[in-house]
Amino acid sequence: MRRAAYRGLILPGVLAAIIVLLAIAAPIMPLIDPVRQDIAHRLTGPSAQHWLGQDEYGRDVLSRIIWGARVSLSVAFSAAAAAALIGTLLGILGGYFRGVVELLTVRAAEIVLCFPPLLLALLVVTLLGPGAGTLIFSLSILFAPGFARVAYAETLSTRALDYVTAQHALGARTRRILALTVLPNIATPLIVQFSLTVAAAMLLESGLSFLGLGVVPPAPSWGLMIRGARGAMEQAPLLLFWPCLALTGTVLVLNLLCDRLRDALDPRGRAMGRPGFLGRVFALPPVPSPPAPGLLSVQGLTLQVPGPNGPIEVVRGVSLSLAPGETLAIVGESGSGKTLTGLAVMGLLPAAVTPVAGSIMLTGQDGMPRDLLRLPEPELRALRGRDMAMIFQDPSSSLNPLLRIGTQVAESLRAHGTHDGVHDRVVALLRQVGLPDPERAAMAYPHELSGGQRQRVMIAAAIANHPRLLLADEPTTALDVTVQAQILALLQALKEAEGGMGMVFVTHNLAVVAEIADRVAVMYAGEVVEEGPADEVLAAPRHPYTAALIASTPEGEAERLSAIPGAVPQPWAMPPGCRFAPRCAMAQPACTVTAPALEEVAPRRAARCLRWRELA
Amino acid sequence: MTAPLVRGEGLTRAFHRRGGLFGRGVPMMALRGVDIELHRGEAVGVVGESGCGKSTLGRLLLRLMTPTSGRVMFEDRDLATISAAELRALRRRMQMVFQDPYGSLDPRRVIGAQIADGMVIHGLAQGTTVQDRVAALLRQVGLDPGHAQRLPHEFSGGQRQRIAVARALATQPDFIVADEPVSALDVSIQAQVVNLLADLRGELGLALVFISHDLHVVRHLCDRVVVMYLGLVMEEGPAAEIFRAPAHPYARALLAATPSLRHRGAAASPLAGEVPSIAKPPSGCVFRTRCPMAQPACAQSVPALRLLPGDATRRIACHRAEEIAA
Ligand SMILES: Nc1ncnc2c1ncn2[C@@H]1O[C@H](COP(=O)(O)OP(=O)(O)OP(=O)(O)O)[C@@H](O)[C@H]1O
Ligand code: SF4
Ligand code: SF4
Ligand SMILES: [Mg+2]
Repeated sequence: MRRAAYRGLILPGVLAAIIVLLAIAAPIMPLIDPVRQDIAHRLTGPSAQHWLGQDEYGRDVLSRIIWGARVSLSVAFSAAAAAALIGTLLGILGGYFRGVVELLTVRAAEIVLCFPPLLLALLVVTLLGPGAGTLIFSLSILFAPGFARVAYAETLSTRALDYVTAQHALGARTRRILALTVLPNIATPLIVQFSLTVAAAMLLESGLSFLGLGVVPPAPSWGLMIRGARGAMEQAPLLLFWPCLALTGTVLVLNLLCDRLRDALDPRGRAMGRPGFLGRVFALPPVPSPPAPGLLSVQGLTLQVPGPNGPIEVVRGVSLSLAPGETLAIVGESGSGKTLTGLAVMGLLPAAVTPVAGSIMLTGQDGMPRDLLRLPEPELRALRGRDMAMIFQDPSSSLNPLLRIGTQVAESLRAHGTHDGVHDRVVALLRQVGLPDPERAAMAYPHELSGGQRQRVMIAAAIANHPRLLLADEPTTALDVTVQAQILALLQALKEAEGGMGMVFVTHNLAVVAEIADRVAVMYAGEVVEEGPADEVLAAPRHPYTAALIASTPEGEAERLSAIPGAVPQPWAMPPGCRFAPRCAMAQPACTVTAPALEEVAPRRAARCLRWRELA
Repeated sequence: MTAPLVRGEGLTRAFHRRGGLFGRGVPMMALRGVDIELHRGEAVGVVGESGCGKSTLGRLLLRLMTPTSGRVMFEDRDLATISAAELRALRRRMQMVFQDPYGSLDPRRVIGAQIADGMVIHGLAQGTTVQDRVAALLRQVGLDPGHAQRLPHEFSGGQRQRIAVARALATQPDFIVADEPVSALDVSIQAQVVNLLADLRGELGLALVFISHDLHVVRHLCDRVVVMYLGLVMEEGPAAEIFRAPAHPYARALLAATPSLRHRGAAASPLAGEVPSIAKPPSGCVFRTRCPMAQPACAQSVPALRLLPGDATRRIACHRAEEIAA
């Protein structure tokens, strides 16, 4: 991804370099003097001596274009550099100190932005008289506020970051913080702004020269050339073409460079689209005979993402099962693949992730088992929100801030064919999830509710159509402890009320598992390492990782916590053999060779360890 | 007993929601008169739910923020009256570890340089001694000294938090505020960092303010605990005591709501309602809207923080302290 972004820089980079080099090298190139007139041959077309012909005074056009580039570029670069310097300084100071300083710098600069740019430039030039110096001066005044704005916005967001506060806490002087910490971290958008500004400055410079207010003739400039050629348009239309081509070409190259620069400097890279249903199905081998499911049965689910050295399996051979009315907790550390497993069930995998093996059988409201991995999108959509529903970690980003709560809950009812008595049903749902004064809550907007209340609304929307399966991805992680207890109690009560609804609860917190789950699947590095009844697994784990996780939970009286050494392996650097081996206290040489399979260790209980018997 | 190293007296801090061009909006009281004392080598845990003012308290103690009223004494110096130069010099002795190990390191500078910052700023070491100190610090927090020239993104969350700890230790401080230093970490990594902090405290005699919403971690690491709610201290006392038998109704509810591996049922009878907004705190006792023991009198006056009857080590802010102690 990154490499592709850098490769994209080559074309515009080389073109821009050629333009700049030509301009710099103009004096040493064997060019005809750009101001030498040859009235006898005025307006003659291209010849061996004058490749692009001669202008209205018989001067060589090619030579004037190249010398003109020199003038245009140096004016544009100087103006952009001056604007960058002034604007960035103002923006940083305003953003860092806020208050009065902000008023004096950024706000003052913004006043300049209120004037139409050409008008302002005209004003300055008229006051100071034409010439390159005036041009640079007026252009830098024009463009400085743009830099000030960018620098200001970036500084505002950067200065709130912990690493800036950390510098302050270390006792660093403001000067040091601004130069060493703030400036490098806001440089990227400023560089992009700079290349945009150069292009804009070139255009404006040509415009002003065209109006006779910029570069003073006979010095060559593209704007002056266009002005001159306009008079002779009838006799020699090509004369107009060359400077226009030079100007548009240069501006286009600079804009392209700026686009590519933004891509290359943005660490997130460019977004990709979602693959269609066909792409998904072609990647999947057929399964012989899907096992009969209870409510949900995931078999051998393997998910891949593309990596620099071939695809990476971020979820490998995951198998889970859930009976009606049960709660299954998927627990694991960050990056263990919990969320992806949940999203695969909902058919909501991100674009980069493709299922390559396995099956996900869900028994719907009609009692029919279906393989969700191989279902076309329209059928999946019909299941979503009716047979299966999902709640997410962050309730504020999953609700539309512009719609009333009641409307959003009603939406999930209407989407699945309920049209009568919607309002009453919405109020009943909001009452069921424990919102005080549900009639009024239905009319409220999301921002009027607290985080816990918003999560209740999400739950109301999720259970609106009595789903068979409720998927909850860390639904309480963003909430306070006392509110978490409320939501856990609510989910428990709902499950009893909605007889037969199964729940998959994704969490990183073992104590929450103990609180809510009937069954638990422990994931590590993309694999299920242990699965079984929650009580049994937590009381007597059969996998060293589960045991170590329990031991490292800060409860009980032990003086020291027992930490698991090392860190979770990166998905592209999985150890051979058992993925937990580098951190496992029980690892033996065999463990680094053979990848253990998920073995049944007791009825409805499985572990993925070569030595599970020794833990019994 | 010796004099405390750090003392916060009546710390109050208001924030102003930006209201229009000239208006300053309603002041929101993030902290409403908090007293706190910290002795050399002591670890105090500050717990409470979001918005109770934990982080504000930590930042006030380090004077990364100025109090609206009240003062912070470091040894015998008032941080508000000493000169800027004196304060900068004093910063050598007080440091901070942040919650987010991804946000607290500058993504564009190698970690060795960031660890060295404090030493350079305070002129504690020069040239190769800086390199040696950085290597020693990396070793002290359990990292490879050879990794000093790497950028933060090359480390995992737990390793970054160790780097942040190394940076805080570089100036040999006496006092560290750790604001939720393990909340963003995975359970297995969390234990590594908690153990590291416990070891360092023992070895270096650091005074530590440990801010957390995870009661289990606090119990592990701290001698004393301060339980906060809506900008006020509800209960304060020895960690072991408070965890064994919390006295204040809020402290009880908080402890009961914390899920535990060992006994199910935290969700059995959860506390009703949610933390009110700090812009509109309830009259009288701030906890009364959710308190199972609330009485009409609780709405009349703010209960003062006072010794729990019959217990000389614990203080609670509740009108019904006598009944609780009985
Ligand atoms: N859109 C994506 N593109 C590429 N890789 C991804 C994508 N989403 C997830 N991954 C990778 O897949 C692996 C599993 O991710 P997943 O989100 O399921 O983890 P998780 O267990 O939910 O972690 P957390 O506790 O942090 O939420 C990780 O290594 C992650 O980097
Ligand atoms: S297979 Fe070996 S390394 Fe893996 S968990 Fe079991 S004992 Fe540990
Ligand atoms: S003062 Fe009243 S409301 Fe406040 S904690 Fe005590 S009993 Fe509860
Ligand atoms: Mg996740």
